[in-house]
Amino acid sequence: MKAFRALLSSELRVFLRDKAAITFTFLFPLLFIIFFGYLMGGVGTASNAKLGLFVAPRAETAHLEAAVTAVGVADVVRLATAAELEKAIEDRKVDFGAEWDGATLRFVYDVRRTQENFTFQELARGIAARFDLANQGRHPILGVTSIVEGGEASADWFTLVVPGILAFSVLSAGLFAIAGHVTSMKQRRLLERLIVTPMRPIALLAAVITVRFAVVFVSTLVTLATAIALFHVPFHVNWLLHIVFLIAATLGTMGLGTFLSLLVKQPSSASNLANVLSMLMMFLSGIYFPIEIMPPFLRGLSLALPLRHMADVMRYTTGVMDMSALRFWVICGVFLAAGIGLLPILSRYVVRAERR
Amino acid sequence: MRDVLHVARAQLVTALRERITLFWFLIFPVFVLGLLGLIFTNVGKTQDLTFEISVVNLDRGTVGGNFGANVVETFRELARPGTPGETALFRLHEPGTEEVQTYLVGEIRALRIGKREAVVVIPEDFSESLYAAAGPSSAGAASALVTVHTSGGRTSSDMALGIIEQVIARVDREILAKLGLFDTARVVAVEQLQVGSESKSFSYVDFLVPGVMVMGFFVAGLFSVPGTILFGRERQILRAYWMTPLNVPRFLSGFSLGHVALCALQFVCVWLLGRFAFGAHVNLFQPLAILYLLLAMVTFLALGFLVAALARTPNAGMAIANIINMPLMFLGGLFFPTGSMPPALRAIMLVDPVTYIADGLRASVGVSPAAFGRGVSLGVPCAWIIGCAAVAVFRLKWDVER
Repeated sequence: MKAFRALLSSELRVFLRDKAAITFTFLFPLLFIIFFGYLMGGVGTASNAKLGLFVAPRAETAHLEAAVTAVGVADVVRLATAAELEKAIEDRKVDFGAEWDGATLRFVYDVRRTQENFTFQELARGIAARFDLANQGRHPILGVTSIVEGGEASADWFTLVVPGILAFSVLSAGLFAIAGHVTSMKQRRLLERLIVTPMRPIALLAAVITVRFAVVFVSTLVTLATAIALFHVPFHVNWLLHIVFLIAATLGTMGLGTFLSLLVKQPSSASNLANVLSMLMMFLSGIYFPIEIMPPFLRGLSLALPLRHMADVMRYTTGVMDMSALRFWVICGVFLAAGIGLLPILSRYVVRAERR
Repeated sequence: MRDVLHVARAQLVTALRERITLFWFLIFPVFVLGLLGLIFTNVGKTQDLTFEISVVNLDRGTVGGNFGANVVETFRELARPGTPGETALFRLHEPGTEEVQTYLVGEIRALRIGKREAVVVIPEDFSESLYAAAGPSSAGAASALVTVHTSGGRTSSDMALGIIEQVIARVDREILAKLGLFDTARVVAVEQLQVGSESKSFSYVDFLVPGVMVMGFFVAGLFSVPGTILFGRERQILRAYWMTPLNVPRFLSGFSLGHVALCALQFVCVWLLGRFAFGAHVNLFQPLAILYLLLAMVTFLALGFLVAALARTPNAGMAIANIINMPLMFLGGLFFPTGSMPPALRAIMLVDPVTYIADGLRASVGVSPAAFGRGVSLGVPCAWIIGCAAVAVFRLKWDVER
C-alpha cells in the first residue's frame, strides 16, 4: 500500500508537470467546444434559421408571408432585389432565401453550407407546400404533430457533438496512458529502475489507472461545465451512470492501449499508432458527422469502433439520447472486461519484459 | 548545388520511408477529402437509408370512409422497393393480433432505445376531423393531425420525421385534389438556386478540394518542419551535417526544396482523388491558383520554422504545433465557411494566414467570391513569412547547447 501511495503521488506529479499532457487532456476538449460552439452552434435547428425574402414589385406577397410564418423560421429579412438577397446569403446575413416573381418560387442556398442545407431545404418544402395551397385559397387539412420520446427534445448538432468530444477525451486519456506514458517509461528505461525496487507491477498500473481516472473525471466535468455555461446545452447528467461509464471506459481504453503497445516493435511507435487510430475513430464514430449521413459501408464500419459506443453512452448519461439499460451495461461490461483482461497482460509483457 | 539536391532528396525519402509521416502527409489529407466528399455529397439523399417506422391506425372512420387506412396504404407503398435491388424508404411495423394500446406502448419503448426511428399514430377521430377540415366552414391550421413520436437526440429520427411530414403533405394534396378542392394543374413552379460560388456548376467538393490541399500543406509545414529540426537537433543529426562542408543556408535550401516536393506530392494525390473519385472540376492549374499554392507552401514552411524557434525540445515543439493547429485550421474556414463569431475568435481569424490563403485560392479558381482584396490575401501571408523568418533567424538554434 505504501508503494502504491508513493507511485500515486509520483504519477500525479508527473502528470501535473507534463504541460503537453495537461494541454491535450484539458485544453483540447475545451478548445473544441468553444470553436464548434461559436462556429456551428445552432446548426441543424430549423427554429434558428433566418430567411431572406425577395418578392417582385407586382407579385402577391400575403400568401407567401403567411406560409413562411406558419412554417416557423426564426426571422425573416426583406430584401429589395434578388441580387441583394444572394449577397446576403453569401455574407451569411441570412441562412437561405426565397424569391417570388409571381410565377416561380425560387429557394436560394449557399453551396458551402452543405451540412445545414438539408434543414433549410426541409423548411423550404414546408413553405412551398403551404404557399401552393394558399394560392388556391386552401390551407392544409392534414398535418403532423410530433412528440419527442426520451432523450433531449431540442438536441441540435452541437448538443450531440459535446458528449462525443467528451467520449473522445476519455478515449485519448486511456489510450495514451499506456500507448504513450507507460511505453515512454519503458523506452526511457524508467521501468527497469522501478522493477529493481520492491514495487509490484500491478501497483504501478493501479497508480496510472487512478491518476488517469481522476484526470478524465475532472476533464469531463470542466468541459461539461463550460458547454453548459457558455452555450446552454440542455444536459441532464445521471452522475451515477456517468461515473460507472468513466471507470469502465478509462479501463477499457487503457486495455486498448495495451493491445496497441503489444502490436508494435518499438514502444515509441505505440503512441503514433494510437494517434492515427484515434483520429480515424474520431471521424468515423459519429462525433462530428451523424453516422446516418455516411455511406452504408462506413455505417457498418462504425459499429466496430469503440468510440462510437462510447459516444452513444456519453449521450445517454448526459440525457441527450435514450438507450436500453441492457445496452448500457453490456457496453460498460465489455470495456471493463477489456481493461481487466488486458491489464495483467500489460503488467507481464510491458513491465516484466524489460527484466534482464 | 548538388549538396542542396542531396538534402532535398534525403528529406523527401525520409518522409516517404517513415510510415507515420506518410500517414499524416499523404494518407490523412486523402482520407479527409474522401470522407467529407462521401458524406457531404450524400447529405439530404436518403436512397440508401431505410427507416424503421411503426404505423398505428386508431381511426374509427366515418360514413365517407376510413382516411386513416389511406395514409397507412401510402406508408406501405413506400415500404416496398421501387425496383428490385433498390432499398425501400421505410421498414414498416404494424400491429398484429395483439391489443393496439399494448403494441403502441411496446413500439414507443423500442423508439426510445433506437430500434425505431418514428412511431406514427393516426388518431381515432382522424376521418371526422378531416371531413370537418375540408368543409366550407373550416379555416386556418390543419385540424386532422397525425401524431409522430420521435426519439430525442437521434439524427435518424429527425430525418424520419422530415420525410413523414413530406409524405403527409403529399397525402394532404391528394385528398384535397380528390375532393375537388385543389387543382394540381395550378401548382406553383418551385426552383432551387445555389450561391456562394462564382460558377453555378460548382459543388461542395469543389469548395473542399482547395481547402484540403491547404490543410495538407499546413499540417506538413506545422509538424514536419519543427519535427525534423528539433528531433535532428536533439539526436545530434544536425551536428553531423555541420561536420560536412554543408552550411546552414544550403541545408535550409535543400530542406525547403524537399518540403516543396512533399507538398507537390500531396497536391497530386488530393487532386487525383477529388477529380476522379468525386468529379471535382475546379481548375487549379492556372497562374494565380499556383501562386496561392506556392504561397501556402512557403507560409506554412515559415510557420514551421517559427515553432522550431520557439520550442526548446521536440515534445514542446509538437505541443505548440498541436495547440496552434486546431484554431488556425478551423477558424481559417478550410472545410466550412466561418460565420458570426465573438470578437476574440474573429481576431484570431483575421490574423490567421490560413484564412487569406484559403480565401485567395478559392477566389482564384472561382469556387467562391473573395472576402478580401487580392492585395490583402497575398500581403498577410507574406507578412507572416517575413515575421516568422525574422524570429527564426534570431532564435532558432541549429545545434544542441553544450
